[in-house]
Amino acid sequence: MSFITACCHINEESCVLNGDVIAQKNTESGDSWFKQLYKGLTLEYPKFYKMDMLSQAGFIGSELIKKSNPALSTRYQDDEIGLLFANQESSADTDIRFMESYVDKKSPSPSLFVYTLPNIVLGEIAIRNKWFGENMFAVLPKFAPEFFLQYGEIMMVAGAKAVLMGWLGILEGKIEVFVFLVEENSATGMQLNRENLITCAGF
Amino acid sequence: MDTLKEDLKKHIIEQLNLEDIQVADIADDALLFSTEGIGLDSIDALELIVLLEKFYGIQVTNPEEGKEAFLTINTMADYIEKKRK
Repeated sequence: MSFITACCHINEESCVLNGDVIAQKNTESGDSWFKQLYKGLTLEYPKFYKMDMLSQAGFIGSELIKKSNPALSTRYQDDEIGLLFANQESSADTDIRFMESYVDKKSPSPSLFVYTLPNIVLGEIAIRNKWFGENMFAVLPKFAPEFFLQYGEIMMVAGAKAVLMGWLGILEGKIEVFVFLVEENSATGMQLNRENLITCAGF
Repeated sequence: MDTLKEDLKKHIIEQLNLEDIQVADIADDALLFSTEGIGLDSIDALELIVLLEKFYGIQVTNPEEGKEAFLTINTMADYIEKKRK
């Protein structure tokens, strides 16, 4: 049996970890919303600044889940944590920016180009944490609990003991981020099923 | 030459999104692609090539040339000066 042991929501204005609002966007700050959250985490990971918004969303979500569950990095072997993410927009937010870089500015940006695939966020999280379990990023018409339930089950059967899952909706200023941790045989958390996942997601 | 080096540093910080690095943090002789220096990576190297063309009108066509030119701010500035003549 699997359980949702931590969850994080980020929208355009606020960041919620396990039901508690932990940050509100400071509209007077010169920093982007995700940069504000990054600074709030007091991390030293300069590569964050080079990431596109999709990767920043996944990165911050994963860091917040770790903050909520500090033993995550030590409880499992590096190949026992899977990554299972999805969204509706793929990498369109960065695709558009890359297109603008060569159509409008006549200067295609290599650092934007490398983020014109949605699964790059999985690499960023895996590299950051040295998690080498199976990973998957799907582009779906809408948030689909069944996808997470069924594919997560496959990952568990294949050897994962925990799977970091998430819906990363990022497009032209719209932010709909939901990252959650599913663990096998946990003593805490909500049982992973369709109803609980819908409730937890809040979509 | 000093102005060129300052401009280069500003362009590098802006183009490569090195938001936590200030111009003063980049020594003229710091190795750009060493973790003991600025810690740039292969994608950043491509950005440097784009940067040279965009701001200085210089095309790096020989990879070996770029390898030497991108060692430090000093070598980049020398390369730009040489190509401008």
